[in-house]
Amino acid sequence: MSDFARQQAEFQRGILTGDDTVLVEIVDSPREKRDTLFGVYRYAYGSRLVEAMRNDHELLHTYLGGETFDEMGHAYVKAHPSEHPNLRWFSQGLPEFLRSANPYSDHPVLSDLAALEKALNDAFDAEEGPVLELTDMAGFAPEAWPDLEFHAHPSASRLDLSTNAATIWLAIKNNETPPEAAPLEIPSRLLIWRQDVTPMFRELSVEEAMMWDEAANGVPFGVLCEMLATYDDPDDAAARGAGYLHGWITSGILTSVSTE
Amino acid sequence: MNVASRLPETSAAAQADRPAKSAKPAFLGFGLGLRAQHYDEILNGNPPIDWFEVISENYMIPGGQPLRTLDRICEGYPVVMHGVSLSIASTAPPNFEYLQGLKDLARRVEPKWVSDHLCWTGVHGKNLHDLLPIPYTKEALDHVVSRVQLVQDFLGRAIVLENVSTYVQFNNSEMTEWEFLSELSRRSGCWLLFDINNVYVSAFNHGYDPLAFLNGIPADRVVQFHMAGHSHMGTHIIDTHDHPVCEDVWDLYVAALKHFGRVSTMIERDDNIPPLDELLLEVKRTREIAERVLPPLGKQAE
Repeated sequence: MSDFARQQAEFQRGILTGDDTVLVEIVDSPREKRDTLFGVYRYAYGSRLVEAMRNDHELLHTYLGGETFDEMGHAYVKAHPSEHPNLRWFSQGLPEFLRSANPYSDHPVLSDLAALEKALNDAFDAEEGPVLELTDMAGFAPEAWPDLEFHAHPSASRLDLSTNAATIWLAIKNNETPPEAAPLEIPSRLLIWRQDVTPMFRELSVEEAMMWDEAANGVPFGVLCEMLATYDDPDDAAARGAGYLHGWITSGILTSVSTE
Repeated sequence: MNVASRLPETSAAAQADRPAKSAKPAFLGFGLGLRAQHYDEILNGNPPIDWFEVISENYMIPGGQPLRTLDRICEGYPVVMHGVSLSIASTAPPNFEYLQGLKDLARRVEPKWVSDHLCWTGVHGKNLHDLLPIPYTKEALDHVVSRVQLVQDFLGRAIVLENVSTYVQFNNSEMTEWEFLSELSRRSGCWLLFDINNVYVSAFNHGYDPLAFLNGIPADRVVQFHMAGHSHMGTHIIDTHDHPVCEDVWDLYVAALKHFGRVSTMIERDDNIPPLDELLLEVKRTREIAERVLPPLGKQAE
């Protein structure tokens, strides 16, 4: 290893672990000791990353309060040193961290809130894609409909939450007092997407969530309707399917339709 | 003593030097760092700003509003790209995925130039997201020269490198920062972004005369000035970019104009972002001082 490479490794270790080895290669300034000066880099490292997490998770920050959020943030920084050149992706692992690390794993609403904010952030700068219009559907003859396959907009994603995190998110967003965190008997099934430039989410019924998930797997409309028939009144399964489809198209969540 | 200028030209690194042949970018005028808080005001108004600098990484994303806004800005203004993660002085292997992302963005933006910092941001797969200092040694210079050449070959253009604010100095340095920068520019062909605030900060922190730094940089290698604010801690200054430009840095700007001549200049604010009008006053001041200090464009000797 070159001298330069060794020095960089020691400098980095000094920031990440508090190891002082590199200090013997640093000089005091005319006004300040080297450990204080090196401390500028040590302090900046954690504070910059926690600030990036605050920007990505504003509502979780409000929910936890500044002090608790910062404490949590520094724990995440320690557990997950950044490995990507772009800070945009630093807090991607936060939902999983909160789900698995004590004491946060005792409060599943925290992981759910982080997952919802992550999904909205991901929708915000997701890849561009065409938006399917209702008029695009007019060209298909009725006999073609059973074979139609629908393709989600690149910004669309699904998220299941086991707590009332979505209700808490809405309350904080509207500057209202959030309800107590509580587990849900049936998980809330969310659909997240970007409408023009704005990230959106809404809760799906069990039936609509099933249809979305299967459509995303490439299941054609005819089979989707057969599946809907097992969830509720089989006589209006096709009408319910068409209704969900209408909602997705008018919200701009689909990007194309094909008959392959 | 300029040790770097006496480096043996027969060294392997010197023989490998292939300064990029590219014309010096044209003077753009007086600009501002583009920040999301000002998107609407800029797009809906017609602020007196000659050009914008954008943070490359903010737009190295798949899509959405930031990139759509950037496209609109590029339609109306000259733009330069300024990155924070090139890590040009890192001893880690080059990150070609990052470089490809940078190249793709440059293809979209068609910037007047692409800049980053003379620093490193991490090794061993980690990124500390900070502009970390280097020792000014012959070994480091050889390494950075070859790395700049690699990046320039990959991007197909000469890059621009900025002096960073530093808080520590290494006891194995063999030359000054300005000697290092000058040699780096001469040998690799990269241009220099002269951050006047960073010179002020580093000069205070390390106890040297900022004019020695300024006068030590060859005037013909500098294509851009940064003007920014900082936080004074008494015994040292931290480059926070969250304050207006201070009077000492304005004075240094006058000296820089006298030494470097007409250079594309911009106000860089990264935190505690004020309303656009406040920054426009600083942009206006960069313009007024340059008009006062420098001869009119038509009369300036080329």
